[in-house]
Amino acid sequence: MEFGWSQAQENYRERIRAALRELLPADWHETYTPQSYASDAQIEFSRKFCPQLAERGLLVRHWPKEWGGEGGDDWEQFILAEEMKVAGEPRGPQYMNVNWIGPTLMRFATPEQREKYLPGIARGTTIWCQGFSEPGAGTDLAALRTKAERIGDRYRINGSKIWTSYARKADMCFLLARTGAGRKEITVLLVPMATMGVSVTSNPGLCKDGHLNEVFFTDVDVAIDARLGEEGQGWAIVTHALSFERTGVPRYHVGIEVLGLAIAQLKAEGRADDPIVRARAGMIAAQFEAARALTYLVVDQRVKRAPENTDANVARITALDAVVELMNFLVEFTPDCLAGGDAQLEEYYRINVPAGVTAGTYELQLDLIAQRGLGLPRG
Amino acid sequence: MDYALSEEQAALVAAVQGIVRDHGAPPSDARQSFAYFDASLQAALQGGGFLDAARVLGALEAALVVMEAATAPGAAELGASALVAPHLFPSAAPNGPFALIDAAALGKAHRHLPIAKTALITDGGDVLVLDLNGVRIDPVDSVYAYVYGRFAERIDLRALPRIPDAAPLLRQWHRVALAAEMAGAAAQAVAFTVEYVKTRHVFAKPVGAFQAVQHRLVQCHQAALAMRYLTLKAAWAGDAYHAALAACFAQQKASKIVFDLHQFNGAMGITNAHLLHFWTYRLRALQAEAGGVYASAHTVANALWGGAGP
Ligand SMILES: Cc1cc2nc3c(=O)[nH]c(=O)nc-3n(C[C@H](O)[C@H](O)[C@H](O)COP(=O)(O)OP(=O)(O)OC[C@H]3O[C@@H](n4cnc5c(N)ncnc54)[C@H](O)[C@@H]3O)c2cc1C
Repeated sequence: MEFGWSQAQENYRERIRAALRELLPADWHETYTPQSYASDAQIEFSRKFCPQLAERGLLVRHWPKEWGGEGGDDWEQFILAEEMKVAGEPRGPQYMNVNWIGPTLMRFATPEQREKYLPGIARGTTIWCQGFSEPGAGTDLAALRTKAERIGDRYRINGSKIWTSYARKADMCFLLARTGAGRKEITVLLVPMATMGVSVTSNPGLCKDGHLNEVFFTDVDVAIDARLGEEGQGWAIVTHALSFERTGVPRYHVGIEVLGLAIAQLKAEGRADDPIVRARAGMIAAQFEAARALTYLVVDQRVKRAPENTDANVARITALDAVVELMNFLVEFTPDCLAGGDAQLEEYYRINVPAGVTAGTYELQLDLIAQRGLGLPRG
Repeated sequence: MDYALSEEQAALVAAVQGIVRDHGAPPSDARQSFAYFDASLQAALQGGGFLDAARVLGALEAALVVMEAATAPGAAELGASALVAPHLFPSAAPNGPFALIDAAALGKAHRHLPIAKTALITDGGDVLVLDLNGVRIDPVDSVYAYVYGRFAERIDLRALPRIPDAAPLLRQWHRVALAAEMAGAAAQAVAFTVEYVKTRHVFAKPVGAFQAVQHRLVQCHQAALAMRYLTLKAAWAGDAYHAALAACFAQQKASKIVFDLHQFNGAMGITNAHLLHFWTYRLRALQAEAGGVYASAHTVANALWGGAGP
């Protein structure tokens, strides 16, 4: 057992930090981070930033050499994620490409599809969005109704997707559509967002702009080679894809940073020596460190290709608990952050409003751990 | 970064698990008690050299020993012997078991005092060493699942050998020690309850099939798992910050674990014979030690953001 980083890992982290110092504009934290990583401004920025990251060998380092990576391990991918997240995720939505869309294409795509899509991801030039959820299908994803009807060697798509982050700016949609009446007769289609019949509307909401989009598909016509894998294989593909996201975003790293920002504000206001402030902040830091300890446990298991278990779900809810406590801390001690005060604190608060809903709700995590982890009977 | 136990660590853990298994069934009179000091468990751990793991192998190994041994229904003096004494006395330690005492609370009841051979008394920044041989102790009844006692005679602190400036080090390892015992006890209390809710039926279903039970039970499991790794990291890191993190997390989660697990065991859970209290009331006992959750939180805050003030 060993809880320290190797020298090579330390060096790698320093390389990333150096790249960030070099590549992020001087007004990054003032202008960009408060808008959040899903904003149009940050998405456009990612189109410049990711290619520069790629040039430095830091975008898809964990990918196989064949596809522009260096075969780096999961730790490297994770160290990168930590540093990017704490910097305000300048990769924008492209974290998703490198974490799971690319690897899923490597596994299920035809050679032609790989040639067509992987280089754009590896170079950092394509924006993808994830078209899974629908107005009537969220947690219960298999209830989705968007239909892809096979007509000769083409598919005609009709339906709508909701909460499709980045859709307004995306080039491609990783779409789940129904190709049969059976609950799991679902197929993945790779649909260019510029295809005729695709339209996007956006809604304002508590979380920052860029997430709450609705995508409509009206008689959208795509060739059969837009299909990933076999017809009806969508469920298996998505299960595989989501396993790449098991560990989730490294929320502890940025959580402790934000706690520090709040303390700095309280120091400037002469309020940081309040023992209640310090006790609450210390308790929350301990929760984030608990999440870090469990997240590293999960990455270590992944590096060792250990059999799948529910520790990743446990790590996620531990991080969520800490996030909720921190949001509460902000409202209790720096309430002005939601009323014209510190923009970074506001961004942190707002981007985390849906943290328990996205990518598998908190309750779903609890269900999975109860049944698969603790072996409790289904209700 | 490597979360897997080495072969040596795995063997150590397996050996302690074997000892715990041999001490898994308390004698019938002990089953009815609030606190059961298992002298045989203490002797097995001490005699087998397990409580010396910090000196021979390292603090991480000592924490593993404490965590595993804390899953036994009977209590033994684990943390002070395995984690505090070796750091306070790197070469020759006085005899264990130990009682850890704050001079400001000298007249109150102290955990382990009736079975301890030495008391380590924190007096301001110093630590005083009191040989308990011949010192009269009155046992104190308590629902906390450790034996407690009070001095039955006046202790003259001025006459005791003093280790100057050792209090911070004692507090640091006291925190690791209590977090390790809490992690072990919490994990065992969760495992015990998971089994119970699978077998106890209500409304023709196992209690554990209800989502309201499942979700809260998962949160208890989550807390116990996080305690484990924060504690091991604290033992590995060997600094006051990580020790405070481990204690702060364990101490803030204790209340939920104790309440929820007793809920799920129903009325049965409050009878001594059910045994659950041996683990849950050890968590309760440790909740306020080494300054408690707020003091450990302040240590964390000081380490992260420096002293207060602009
Ligand atoms: C900011 C944001 C970004 C998103 N980005 C995307 C995206 O890019 N692409 C995409 O496809 N989707 C996206 N989503 C959608 C997200 O995946 C869904 O919101 C999520 O799956 C939950 O679905 P729902 O909102 O329909 O909630 P529902 O499924 O309606 O759930 C409502 C509540 O019921 C609970 N619940 C559901 N089932 C159970 C059960 N069996 N037991 C107990 N409780 C239950 C849930 O936990 C939740 O608390 C995004 C959502 C947000 C908020």
